[in-house]
Amino acid sequence: MEKSEIVQSAKSIEKQAITEFSNAPSSRDLYDLKVKYLGKQGALSMLMRELGKLGAGDRPAVGQMFNEVKNRLEDAYARRETELKTQEVNAAIEREKLDLTLPGPKIASGAAHPISLVISQIVEILGRIGYSVRQGPLIESDRHNFTALNIPEDHPSRDLQDTFYIDDRHVLRTHTSPVQVRTMENEKPPLRILAPGSVFRCDSDASHSPNFHQIEGLLIDQKVSMADLRGTISYFVDEFFGPGLKKRFRPSFFPFTEPSAEVDCSCPICRGKGCRMCKQSGWIEIGGSGLVNPKVIQACGLNPDEWQGFAFGFGVERMAIIKYAVDDIRLFSENDLRFLEQFQ
Amino acid sequence: MKISLNWVNEFVDITDYFAKPRELADALVAAGLEVEQIDNPGEGFHHVVVGHIVELGRHPNADKLTLCQVDTGEKMRRQIVCGAKNHKQGDKVVVAIPGAVLPGDFAIKISKIRDVESQGMLCSESELAFKEKSEGILILPADAPIGEPFAKYWGLDDVVFEISITPNRADCLSHLGLAREIACVLNRPLRSASESKRAAAKSAHDAAAKARKNAVAVNVRDSNLCQRYCGRSVFGVKVGPSPAWMKRRLESLGVNSVNNVVDVTNYVMLERGQPLHAFDLACLRGEKTGSPQIIVTRAQSGEKFKTFDGTELTLTGEELTIRDADRAVALAGVIGGPNSGVSETTQDVFLEAAYFSPKGVRRTSRAHALETDSSYRFARGVDIEATLEAMNRACDLFHDLAGGTPSSDFVDVYPNPARRPSIVVRYENLSQRLGYSVDKADLGKILERLQCTVKEKGQNEITVEPPSFRVDLEIEMDIVEEYGRLNGYDKIPETFPVLCERPTDHAKSYRSEFVVREQLVREGFFEARNYAFLNPRWQSEFVDVARFGKMGLALDGEPVNVRNPLSEETSVMRMSLIPGLIHNLLHNEHRGVSHGRLFEIGRVFVKSADAKAADVESLAGFREPHRLAMLAWGYERGLWQKSDHPAVFDLKAAIESLIGHLNGRVEIQKWQGEANPPAFLHPGQTATVFYEGRTIGFLGSLHPMLRELHKIRSDAAIAELDVTALMRGQPRVAKIKSISKFPSVERDFSLVVRDSVTAGELVKEAEKAVGPLLQAVEVFDVFRGAGVPEGCQSVSIRLVLQDLNATLTEETLKTTTQTVLQRLGQKFDAKVRT
Repeated sequence: MEKSEIVQSAKSIEKQAITEFSNAPSSRDLYDLKVKYLGKQGALSMLMRELGKLGAGDRPAVGQMFNEVKNRLEDAYARRETELKTQEVNAAIEREKLDLTLPGPKIASGAAHPISLVISQIVEILGRIGYSVRQGPLIESDRHNFTALNIPEDHPSRDLQDTFYIDDRHVLRTHTSPVQVRTMENEKPPLRILAPGSVFRCDSDASHSPNFHQIEGLLIDQKVSMADLRGTISYFVDEFFGPGLKKRFRPSFFPFTEPSAEVDCSCPICRGKGCRMCKQSGWIEIGGSGLVNPKVIQACGLNPDEWQGFAFGFGVERMAIIKYAVDDIRLFSENDLRFLEQFQ
Repeated sequence: MKISLNWVNEFVDITDYFAKPRELADALVAAGLEVEQIDNPGEGFHHVVVGHIVELGRHPNADKLTLCQVDTGEKMRRQIVCGAKNHKQGDKVVVAIPGAVLPGDFAIKISKIRDVESQGMLCSESELAFKEKSEGILILPADAPIGEPFAKYWGLDDVVFEISITPNRADCLSHLGLAREIACVLNRPLRSASESKRAAAKSAHDAAAKARKNAVAVNVRDSNLCQRYCGRSVFGVKVGPSPAWMKRRLESLGVNSVNNVVDVTNYVMLERGQPLHAFDLACLRGEKTGSPQIIVTRAQSGEKFKTFDGTELTLTGEELTIRDADRAVALAGVIGGPNSGVSETTQDVFLEAAYFSPKGVRRTSRAHALETDSSYRFARGVDIEATLEAMNRACDLFHDLAGGTPSSDFVDVYPNPARRPSIVVRYENLSQRLGYSVDKADLGKILERLQCTVKEKGQNEITVEPPSFRVDLEIEMDIVEEYGRLNGYDKIPETFPVLCERPTDHAKSYRSEFVVREQLVREGFFEARNYAFLNPRWQSEFVDVARFGKMGLALDGEPVNVRNPLSEETSVMRMSLIPGLIHNLLHNEHRGVSHGRLFEIGRVFVKSADAKAADVESLAGFREPHRLAMLAWGYERGLWQKSDHPAVFDLKAAIESLIGHLNGRVEIQKWQGEANPPAFLHPGQTATVFYEGRTIGFLGSLHPMLRELHKIRSDAAIAELDVTALMRGQPRVAKIKSISKFPSVERDFSLVVRDSVTAGELVKEAEKAVGPLLQAVEVFDVFRGAGVPEGCQSVSIRLVLQDLNATLTEETLKTTTQTVLQRLGQKFDAKVRT
């Protein structure tokens, strides 16, 4: 071909390509056009092969011309590609709209029973200061449940607890305190233990369940004071219910502690202003405590002149009722999923 | 116990607290006496007075209303409109004057009723909240004093505390005792006896001086159970009603008035805490013609005794009885008999004031389920040094109120006077136990308030003797407590015990429960907690001892029965967690909860013949194995969950994931126990769970008949595993494998096998055949129907193979696949489906 003919052809290819590029309906079609004109077998490449047939004088100018055409076509392609991609993404966005108010697929996660939840929380809080869990039988001997705890037979202290009997020598434990006895008997002091678990009382009404839960703590060391007990309880209340509650010790009587104290704290629900939970008093009774009675230390085989201790105990249902404002004790044993699901 | 503040006020001056009983209650609570209720009936009757209708006329504008001029003791008469019909001129009535707030927050104001001013209201019993409904207004007796506050006139000016007395504080079971405690707490002196009491005592004493001698011979044969016995005859009593003041006082404390003699014994008991018993002297028999006798001795075994309320008891011989020459006349300290009690015709009385041993009285009272005001006090311990005083106080009252004359002498059998303990209190110990420094002078003051006698005072310690009424004070710690509470528990500082010892781990069983719970919660299960006892009939529907035993849930022994259950529902200890969970299923399903996942971790109970305890958490003679049970019913039917699968597979998945979490090897295989699984399970949907090759439990769908019977609409499945077996060897630490750099290859093939061949068997065999190259075997399809012969199924299996050190060659893949197919072909007659 002549030089002029080549130049003419290149121009017409360029013109046609630009027209087709701008008419390409999609980025896919556009890409095919790129191959058609700019690909190795494309129209422009085929024409460029004619370059070799030209005289040496003409080649640089025509080569230069080819480069320019190629650059212009690539620019045109890129512009059109951006245009089409933008259109296409916008269309996709429109198409892919989702109603995110639709429910997501359920992620299966269950929940521990609130009683377990409270026990775990208490174990975690007191675990930080060296307490560890001990467990004992639920069918207990009279000795571990009563006599070793300074509750002799034929003593009115036994009336404090309505007892389920298995036979003359065995009961369903009425409190978690037998675990204190077992630990003192089997392990070497000093001791810091927690005994959570099921206990039984022959009593059932709107506020009492015949099978409920307690958790109690025992510390045995060489010198143990009421002040140590107060400090420990105060730490516990702050950690369990959150800081800022007032705490109060009230003298009371438990056969296994002397002195004994009931533990009250200002009502966590109303913060002491008075509500249904605290019967308008502003105070909530949360448990019992005291210094371990020397008679108990002795009965467990330790020397009361050498070892002292304190013990404290809480009703787990009661703690759960206060913490989660549960209004009916039956909810803890019905296992209604609508209740359990709320502890997820 | 109910306590009248008026009565307490006779012994210690608490006049200032009548206007603020709450403050007194707070002081008592802070000292350890729990005031449960304050009954202040007069509180609602301010501005309510006794009035006199001086004039009664018609209301000018209303036929049915009256217009009264009422004298209320004020300067001016009050004009009051009243709609009642039962009043007439001259009547004494109850008038609420403006300012009064009647029960139900009904405030009385001056008002106009049909244009006539009414300056108050004449009250009916319902307006005073005495009755639900009443006809007309309350008309008072003609002698009611005009203008007197109604509360005072009606005897409502007392404040009654209901106090819960802990078993150690026997001394607080009376008004005198409580007055002593209040005096101690408030640091006030006790009053000396009033003029009228002294006069009554003198008059009785003078009469007695001229009277006959005591008529009854007393013989105490058991001085262990009866450490002191005082008695005195009272002659010539006239049995009749008690005076109004005594009736009112007894009744306000919940004691029914009987007659003046019985009332006096009750009154003195409430006043001084000493139970008394009055015998009709004429009923006490002696030997032949001899004088009446009292013998204090144990009952005869098998002897019958009729109590005052008519119950006939058969005595064991343990009980201490009060007898005359022929028969038992009372169960000592518990209850009297009708054969010797005071009646309308009684003329002479023999009064008993004794000290019976707390243990003996409690044993008798428990053996015959008889608790009386008397046994309650004796069982807690009365003041052995106060029997005479109480006896004489009652005699004074017999003289005063029933015209009786006490005998000139009395009996007092007290062979071994009680000795109070000497308690050594070390100052340093007191301070150390309370956690703050105790001042010696302060301790002295508090001991004085407690009426403790100081026997010896040393440099470092003090020896004290507690008063006879404080039977609870025995050891040094008792004094530590007394000091602490009277000084105020709020004085105790907060310190923190130092941790010197090395902390220990939690009990293994607690750890196990914790790990299992956490994992199942992650799996979407909710924890249930059921009672440890249940109805034996319900239990027997599910527990099958033989079959459970074969499945790794050993129950070698009898069920444990509760001897004194509340009802059948609490009468046997559970042997499985399954009955409880099924109960929960019914509860939830019947309330519309159509799907759910529950689990429970807990103990089950059996009697065991083994003389040794199985572990530290059970006693010899009993077993308390830890179990885990799981329940699944129905499906979540959400937007993204379109496919249902049998609930039992949810259980299987959760068990596999749990055991995987424990880094153990789990296998779930065809039921391998007795020919049939327990009756509550679907015979075709049951499997055994193996953990590290041992059977540890089972799972299965509920039997269709059971679902039918209990109207369970959803598909439901249950599992039970032994936790101890599951946790054997824990904690197992995960062994981390290297990750291969070379690609893994999947090979799928479908095998036609007989229906009876399980996928589990195929997988297990394939695993064995492949060896170390195997990453996973998965079943991805099961098909029956076109192209598969009758009685057969097509199981599609995917092998995932990978070598740690090289890319798998075509050659290796081919031989491996062939080995697998060959093995399955030989063992199960499996053919590749083409």
